[in-house]
Amino acid sequence: MRLSSTLPTLLLAALMATSCGDNGPSGSEIVTRELPESQQSFRLVDSSAERFRYQKRDAAAPAASSQASSAPELIYTTPEGWEEKAGSMMRDVNLSFGENDEGECYVARLPGAGGGLVANVNRWLGQMGADSLTEEEINALPKKPLFGQPATFIDVTGDFSPGMGSSEVKKNHRLLGLILASDAGAVFVKMTGPEKLVAENADGFDVFTSSLDVSLN
Amino acid sequence: MAGKSINWSPSNWPRLFYQFFTSFKVATAVFVLMTLVTLLGTLAQVDHGLYAAKVKYFHSFFFTEKIFGIPVLLPGGLLLMIILTINMVLGALVKVRKRWRGAGLLISHFGMIMLLVGGFVTWAFATDGYMALYPGMSSNRVESYRNWQLEVFPLDENGKAKQAWILPSDELQSIRVDEQRSYDADGLPFNVIVNGFTKNATPIPVTASAASDATGKEIDGFKLAPQDASKEAEQNLPGAYVAFDPDGEGENVEAILWAGSYRFDPKEDPMPFQFTVDGQKYGAMLAKKSWHVPFEVRLDEFIFERHPGVSTARNFESRVTRLEEEKETSLEIKMNEPMRYVGYTFFQESFGPPDGRPGEMFSQFAVANNPADQWPLWSLVVTGIGLGIHFCVMLVDFIIRSRRKTSASPQS
Repeated sequence: MRLSSTLPTLLLAALMATSCGDNGPSGSEIVTRELPESQQSFRLVDSSAERFRYQKRDAAAPAASSQASSAPELIYTTPEGWEEKAGSMMRDVNLSFGENDEGECYVARLPGAGGGLVANVNRWLGQMGADSLTEEEINALPKKPLFGQPATFIDVTGDFSPGMGSSEVKKNHRLLGLILASDAGAVFVKMTGPEKLVAENADGFDVFTSSLDVSLN
Repeated sequence: MAGKSINWSPSNWPRLFYQFFTSFKVATAVFVLMTLVTLLGTLAQVDHGLYAAKVKYFHSFFFTEKIFGIPVLLPGGLLLMIILTINMVLGALVKVRKRWRGAGLLISHFGMIMLLVGGFVTWAFATDGYMALYPGMSSNRVESYRNWQLEVFPLDENGKAKQAWILPSDELQSIRVDEQRSYDADGLPFNVIVNGFTKNATPIPVTASAASDATGKEIDGFKLAPQDASKEAEQNLPGAYVAFDPDGEGENVEAILWAGSYRFDPKEDPMPFQFTVDGQKYGAMLAKKSWHVPFEVRLDEFIFERHPGVSTARNFESRVTRLEEEKETSLEIKMNEPMRYVGYTFFQESFGPPDGRPGEMFSQFAVANNPADQWPLWSLVVTGIGLGIHFCVMLVDFIIRSRRKTSASPQS
């Protein structure tokens, strides 16, 4: 009877299928292999920061002219009355404004998703004493262009707790921010300062963020 | 009227099995469920991405889905396809009455079975990866899009390595975030301990406020912050806490290994974590799983044109030379004109780097090896021939019957 020969074959095939992968030759033992010449070289770096692609920056160098170890250089327009400050490992661009530098605006880039959009928006809201938003509410926030892509725009007023080890609370502050969180990398632009000062410089924030670009030179 | 009793004795199982799988009701139920699975899988792509949806809904025997908040166990696409294949083999080829009038239908069903078996062969045996080359570079190495492995290697005085100990991707990626597994590799003076593997993660400096959400251990000023898995599975950058435990005395060397330290560009060299045990320097990193094709491909020229004023590509194609022993073949690989050779297909897939200028860019090929690559085409041809024959048989039958009817009807 044909049934007797057909069924075992099909069942055997089905069982075989359960042990097979779908993406490249499979194997699960610890193995050694000789490396071909094309795989024998490495870039040996000194620190975890470099290994994790955080920029290696001279802290005293102006942000706009600093050269990332491998990341492309940022170019931008500095709004009138704003001043460039030294960058840091976490800040690619660091600007201040106001008579006594009460306002600041910085750009930070993180590899990967940088913690994700929801967590970062709510972290910023928390710093301003505002309630957290749901993912749906965050997705419904207005967008502004950043590097040619729609970035989530946050505008919140409150008492600003910068954190980072400081317990200081700055009354009546305002935060304007843009977050562009893609899987390839995350970009944050954050502007904070006294409410009135930020309102006066809100156009400058738009000038600055819309001018941000990557130099191809 | 009493129902017909069923003989459940083991000797009757083959008959019951045969009756069940040749049932038209089973085929109908499978088609209904396939429609449901296809609908759910298609909708899931919006939230979870193509790859994750494919694995959950179509490459599974069973999956659970919340319908109106209630988890429901449903058969996966793989199980349904196997049942459908058995049903068609037994019902449409074995059980069906063989006669010349039904030859077309028999052939068309055979074509459909070819399609199903081809899908199975693709699922079970196909490989896919990519090869990225700058002009002038050649390679026979294909890298996986999604599978990462742990590599440990002794470094010589020039910082090079000739041999690597590899924890394969199947094993590494099966380690949960909260799980610890230890590996003893022959030839290495230490055990390799993986303290949790995260499918998508970002190392964050502990000085950054975002690090407050990361619960992992701080190593060298960094914590590994788990991220939601990306919709595009190939964009996930996994990370792992790894410790190297010397066999003799000595403290463990701990490290965060992150896929982002691997290369994003074919000119780049990976950045391994470095450590020393017994005076020997070692490197360790997460690297993409890779394999070789039986010939080399050299990129001679990459032609790239953008639409005026925007960064969108208008056209990109590659002029390559296929290098084999004592044989070189020049070819062009374009968007819809892949290179097919000894079972491998090279598609023009992408380019980079994103800020690269024409003339300074690499070309990326998708490299697929699928034994059933052409089966869908052949099965459609077979099915088409079968349906064509059946149509002709029906047409001739209709004409003959019409003539008989006409000749039998009374003259007006």
